[in-house]
Amino acid sequence: MIQNLTTVWRFRHFLLALVRLDLRLRYRRSILGVGWSLLNPIAMTIVFALVFSKILGGDDLTRYVPHLLIGLAVWGFLKESATAGSRAFLQSESYIRQSPLPLGIYPLRVVLGQAIHSTIAIAVAVVVTLVYQPYQPEPTDPLAILSIVPGLILMFLVAWSAATIFAFVNVYFQDTQHLLEVAAQLLFFLTPIIYTAGKLVGKAWWWLELNPVQIILELIRTPLMKGHPPTADRLLAGLYLAVVMITLAAGTAAWLRKRVIFHL
Amino acid sequence: MAKIALTDVSLTFTVHQRKRVTLKEYLIQTVVHRRSISTAVSVHALAGVNLSLRDGDRLGVIGHNGAGKSTLLKLLAGIYPPTVGTREVEGKICSLFDISLGFEPEATGWDNISYRAFLQGESPASLRGKMDGIAAFTELGSFLDVPVRHYSAGMMMRLAFSIATAIEPEVLLIDEVLAVGDMAFQEKAQARMKEMMGSARIMVLVAHDLKTIRKMCNRAIWMQQGRVMGAGPTDEVVDAYIASVTRTAAA
Repeated sequence: MIQNLTTVWRFRHFLLALVRLDLRLRYRRSILGVGWSLLNPIAMTIVFALVFSKILGGDDLTRYVPHLLIGLAVWGFLKESATAGSRAFLQSESYIRQSPLPLGIYPLRVVLGQAIHSTIAIAVAVVVTLVYQPYQPEPTDPLAILSIVPGLILMFLVAWSAATIFAFVNVYFQDTQHLLEVAAQLLFFLTPIIYTAGKLVGKAWWWLELNPVQIILELIRTPLMKGHPPTADRLLAGLYLAVVMITLAAGTAAWLRKRVIFHL
Repeated sequence: MAKIALTDVSLTFTVHQRKRVTLKEYLIQTVVHRRSISTAVSVHALAGVNLSLRDGDRLGVIGHNGAGKSTLLKLLAGIYPPTVGTREVEGKICSLFDISLGFEPEATGWDNISYRAFLQGESPASLRGKMDGIAAFTELGSFLDVPVRHYSAGMMMRLAFSIATAIEPEVLLIDEVLAVGDMAFQEKAQARMKEMMGSARIMVLVAHDLKTIRKMCNRAIWMQQGRVMGAGPTDEVVDAYIASVTRTAAA
């Protein structure tokens, strides 16, 4: 695995050039350009804010809007990484047929592109949060906002691992991508993205503890919404999640790496 | 120092009659009907191949179609992993097969030159010096500013060949004689290949043209159904191959 990572590093110019190409193609031919990556979360936020606060009489907007923006940005990144990542090997078939690069580089291409795309949405969420100041109780430290960094790193590792696993599965089962879309739809409503974790009461606690999206989401939401770093046990949960995902991805890769070429 | 060593290499792969199944079909067939969905046929592409090449070796690979020659090249290039046995290759590899694969259709010729060059291990700094040379060799001129999806097959080949041959390889792997573009480019390409064949430390050439093999190679192997039927100095192996072919034809 270490050897594969150093190879990925040696071929970073190849990787980054393709990531740049993907982004250029994504934003080309649209007047809004990069603005597209903002439009979706902002439009969603407006709709949900209207529905939840005005019609259903939910939380107060200064807390709800940042909550939603962060939730949608993180969710968007994880979901797109998994679904677009599952196409990585099929999309890169011609490179795989030509060059013996470690296969992880192809999901990484997708996830890096998504990461750059999502950075804008996350930045907007951070700025909005700073404007609304939804801290409850008072922030312990204004610099606590920097403590989202471990969460972002863990989020990236989890996304890369998930993309790698699904990319392998997709080579064997062609409906993987559609199943992922369905699963994502369910997970979206089963995760406190558009509602708050407090609304899940009683026996649902274990689900919040085990839901991978929620584990990541909390690491990023806590510093922004509450103004203090995530607690050590939450960080540990994130770390466990990342270790499990990386192990699964590396295991899948070690198991199937030599066979993928014959299935493409 | 470049080196190739294959020890008892066998390659078996499964070919599926249907391209890919869906998870739904798989579950229904295996769980509900308790039936295996596998339509796989396993193919023994290489069996017990031993090969050892050192600096200066020029190996010709001959045999009928489907004898495993191209598979051997792909295995040497590291694309097909051996099922059994070990593959050891030292030195920068340049593979001249499947070269027209893997262009980014939406990107321009220039961009594709850099993607491919990075894939071959160049860095932005080392590429800068070679870029103009590559571009000049393609003779595509202002077409290089156009996305590759507008290229004709011949233009694609020109681009691919110019990039693939821009590095100075230590191990050169060539499949057949490439048909590259029009007559004028064909000649230029042949000259470039000769030059590369001369400068590479090790060359492996797969070709049906026995004259080329005799001229370019000092060693040869003759393959049949994935096995090595004969190995040694070029003339001996080629003569044995011709004798076998004429014998079969006579009988």
